Amino acid sequence: MSPTAVMTPRERISRLFSRQPVDRMPFFSGQGMVTLPVIQSLGLKFSQIHLSAEAMAEAARATVERYGFDAALVPYDMCTVPEAMGLRASFYEDTGGVLYPTISTKWGSPEEVIVPGNVMEQGRLPIVSQAMTLLQQGLGPDYAIGTWLLGPYTLAGQVVELDVLLKLTMKDRARVEGLLDRLTEMIINIGRAYQQQGIDYISLREMGAGSDIISPRVFRDMVQPRLKRILDSWRPPRVLHICGATDPIIGYMNECGAEALSMDHKNDLAESRRKVGGSTLLLGNLDAYRLLGQAMLEEVRSKVLESSRAGADAVWPGCDIWPELKEENLFALAEAVKGLHV
Amino acid sequence: MSEENKQEVLGRLKDGVINYNEEAVKEAAEEALEAGIDAYEAIMDGLTAGMVVVGDLYEKKDYFVPELLMCADALYVGLNVLNPHIKQESRGEIKGQVVIGTVQGDVHDVGKNLIKIMFEVAGFTVHDLGRDVPLEKFVEEQMKTDADIVAISAMMTTTMLGMQKAVEMIRERNPNVAIMLGGAPLTQEVASLFGADGYAESAGNAVQEALKMLKNLREMRKK
Repeated sequence: MSPTAVMTPRERISRLFSRQPVDRMPFFSGQGMVTLPVIQSLGLKFSQIHLSAEAMAEAARATVERYGFDAALVPYDMCTVPEAMGLRASFYEDTGGVLYPTISTKWGSPEEVIVPGNVMEQGRLPIVSQAMTLLQQGLGPDYAIGTWLLGPYTLAGQVVELDVLLKLTMKDRARVEGLLDRLTEMIINIGRAYQQQGIDYISLREMGAGSDIISPRVFRDMVQPRLKRILDSWRPPRVLHICGATDPIIGYMNECGAEALSMDHKNDLAESRRKVGGSTLLLGNLDAYRLLGQAMLEEVRSKVLESSRAGADAVWPGCDIWPELKEENLFALAEAVKGLHV
Repeated sequence: MSEENKQEVLGRLKDGVINYNEEAVKEAAEEALEAGIDAYEAIMDGLTAGMVVVGDLYEKKDYFVPELLMCADALYVGLNVLNPHIKQESRGEIKGQVVIGTVQGDVHDVGKNLIKIMFEVAGFTVHDLGRDVPLEKFVEEQMKTDADIVAISAMMTTTMLGMQKAVEMIRERNPNVAIMLGGAPLTQEVASLFGADGYAESAGNAVQEALKMLKNLREMRKK
């Protein structure tokens, strides 16, 4: 296919990951991408899009169609796996507004954590799987469908009290590593199950291990080996995402084996490009909150150009898109993509 | 006790916090009391001095969040020994009252707990609402306690927008209260945009910021 031919969104993403020429920069994400205008247009409440396959899929499909994304993404919240492990999530159904689900009561120590054998049958994981199937049917073969999973350290912080986890990281590393190994195996299995369903890309999100939380040394010794193991166990295309401070660990991230690295606006993208060279795709560093929630339209356009010049390979928000955004900014972002040829 | 010995004990309190050595802190705190060192002085010139260094190490990226938490634990061990022995005249006037909590939807309270410790050490009375706090609860608690400051924390971008609503709700009921925001996704720019009076960039800076806010608030009330 000639790079000037008009590609389907799915072809565009597929070719990006396999390093073939594309007609323009892909516009997609590995982090939450759903907006309140979309949810309201469907007559839904924010809490409902997490709780049924139909609502989850419909919100993802409508997001793609309204803004021109090249891919749809499910799920939206971080509690699907902790819930499948047996923890209870709060959905704030009576509160209204935009509140992401949270795990209110966590385990007190790594040893208490239960990793179920039949995890794909637990909690809302069947809903996520069903939403993927509905999306495949609803969007048809022209659009890509992505998903994501938390990395083992971030997931550990979702299921064990965070201060306990962080302190044990220093005081009793073997106990934390034992938990990380168990979570790693589970994450591999869930990712494989999603891939067997035919999703087009998968993002591993390890935002709890950025350099504003743990040291680059701890990342290298404790987290990186498990990320490598997970990514080695999944087939391409794979994205490794960490938001927050990533400049000190971008080299370690690059050694983990993903086709693409995703970072937020705190990352010096040009410097990252210099460090990782040309063989790894770089995604993100657009400030999802400020750019889509606060900035003037001209800034949206200029930041997209800036990120592209610094070495980004796609237009990809650096974090979850905040659902209560200035919608005109997301339309401007989508419009800016059209002029970006790779 | 000679001045030299006193400084040596205070130095051990300080180093114990910096090196997150809870046992060393406990021992030095007990020794300080036995030697007749004023408990408040031991807290301020020993434990707190150590935490200031810890803050610098964090800024310089020598320390990270796990180290901060362990230093805070060591600080708490010392406070537990020394606090019951503080003489009111040493502490001086109570600096103010703070209502603190993490915003609804956010269950991460690591940062909030660090800030809380710093407020307590500095002599504030702290009303801790915990985590995942419904927005109206901040308003209710402020009204109930007549606290001077409401400090709200969020660790995720996806929860920080609740802060803006909380600020509006608190202001509506009591325009004179000082509001401080903090947490990983926050910046000074966002805090100002949300209508806050103060922004806690780190645990160390929170108390300084709070004192500044309190001064402004009291001047405003006098007018």
